[in-house]
Amino acid sequence: MFANFKNKLCGVVALLALLATATVFADDPPPTPEELVKIKAANGECLTCHSEAGLKKPPKEGLDLKKLRHYLVDLDTYTASDHGQMACSKCHGDGYDKHPHDAKAKEGLSECQDCHARKAMRIERQFDKSVHAENLSDSFTCTTCHDAHVMTLASKLRDPHKIVAQDNKICLDCHDSDLAFAKIAPEKKKRPPIDDIHSWLPNTRLHWQAVRCIECHTPAEDKLSLSHEIQNKDKAEKKCATCHSANTSLNARLYRHLAKEEQNKYGFLNSVILSNSYVVGATRNPSLDWIVIGLFVATVVGVIGHGLVRIITTRMRRSKNHD
Amino acid sequence: MTNRVFMLPLWIRLWHWSNALAIIVLAVTGVSLHFSNPDLPLVEFSLAARIHNVAGVCLAGLYAVFVIGNIVTGNWWQYVPKPPGIIGRCLTQMQYYGAGIFKGEKEPFPPTPEVNFNALQAVTYWSIMYLVLPVVIVTGLVFLYPQFAPDRLFGLDGLLPIALIHYLGAAVIVLFAVSHIYLGTMGPKVSSLFKMMITGWYEH
Repeated sequence: MFANFKNKLCGVVALLALLATATVFADDPPPTPEELVKIKAANGECLTCHSEAGLKKPPKEGLDLKKLRHYLVDLDTYTASDHGQMACSKCHGDGYDKHPHDAKAKEGLSECQDCHARKAMRIERQFDKSVHAENLSDSFTCTTCHDAHVMTLASKLRDPHKIVAQDNKICLDCHDSDLAFAKIAPEKKKRPPIDDIHSWLPNTRLHWQAVRCIECHTPAEDKLSLSHEIQNKDKAEKKCATCHSANTSLNARLYRHLAKEEQNKYGFLNSVILSNSYVVGATRNPSLDWIVIGLFVATVVGVIGHGLVRIITTRMRRSKNHD
Repeated sequence: MTNRVFMLPLWIRLWHWSNALAIIVLAVTGVSLHFSNPDLPLVEFSLAARIHNVAGVCLAGLYAVFVIGNIVTGNWWQYVPKPPGIIGRCLTQMQYYGAGIFKGEKEPFPPTPEVNFNALQAVTYWSIMYLVLPVVIVTGLVFLYPQFAPDRLFGLDGLLPIALIHYLGAAVIVLFAVSHIYLGTMGPKVSSLFKMMITGWYEH
């Protein structure tokens, strides 16, 4: 019995240790300049093969270039990404340090939750309710959408245009390509033409340049980040006024990282949004509206008043003539 | 005995009422879109957007009919405010609306087949039809195809000036429409001018 308890305790301790290291790892301070030089040098070695340049001029003979083509990393994009200051070997550990890489090296590849344990637990609960989990639970992982060599957090990007471009590319790479869709979709599932199913949305493609698919295709529950519960058309937001109103949900979504900035520039509501997009109903100027409403009321009251005076004076004249 | 004179050909009457219908639809849906409120929708947003777009294109088409019809028939001359003495005639007309009508005075410049509009009408109609409405239509078309709007202006979205001009122009037209409908009651009888817009005959 004691041995059993000891085993359990060891298990719990090991799990806590793993969680602790994982959290610390994700929140690690950035590397020092000296460390960064070492990381860059080490990554440079990987990129001698895993880059466009490596593909064009392979550093050694006998490389499977057809295969290599699928494993290229753009150094600039990688450096700008969230993981850009990390050594390749942080994730690509055992078996990747020599060439050819071990046949089983992929099995030892670090998983996202190894570093992002707490986040992964929260996200997994949301993902389990998503349309992707419903239809593709076995084959759908974090990396299906999030390329760790490319992704940058929205809070870091800040510029809504960049956030939209990054995030919508993820969705459209599959949902706007029969080839990519067929690779992961269940058999016999045909890709619904993306423009046709959104034909109800005016200026569809322009919307996709200004806002993310997930503004409508996720519930607005999670306060920490946008939910990973991607919803299909049955559950997705269809009320335009959710964004197109004074109390626009865009402030809690695409513009959440800018929501604390100037919101009344030149007297416009939601002027942070207006810096990027004029959103009918959301980015209006209340002072101007009051002037217009005032003029309208004055005109209507003036017209009614004039009419009443006409009626009264006509009656007075009639009764005078009658007398 | 009532005298009557034929004033308005069929095409003008058809254009006028189609134009009026389009403007009413555009005003209602435009207000609904601009003051969009999920808890209190006048017309549901996506429906309002669709109706507004269709009615807007109709209004642009009707405007083309108005311009072509005016050129072909020579009716455009009616809208031209004609000096000399235009300011004096405008003041006389204003004096009539502001005081004379209450005293039972006669309309100083009643419509005739040769001169449909009094000076005040000519100035107002000309401004609305050849200045404000085209601006509202052009900005509306840019709204319909926002990719043609400037990208950015003064650090804000380039669609903003288009939207503002469209909104203010539309507000002027709505204010005009309210006054226009009321002034329609100022014929010899309250119904005379409305009847004329339907039958083409002016009874006096």
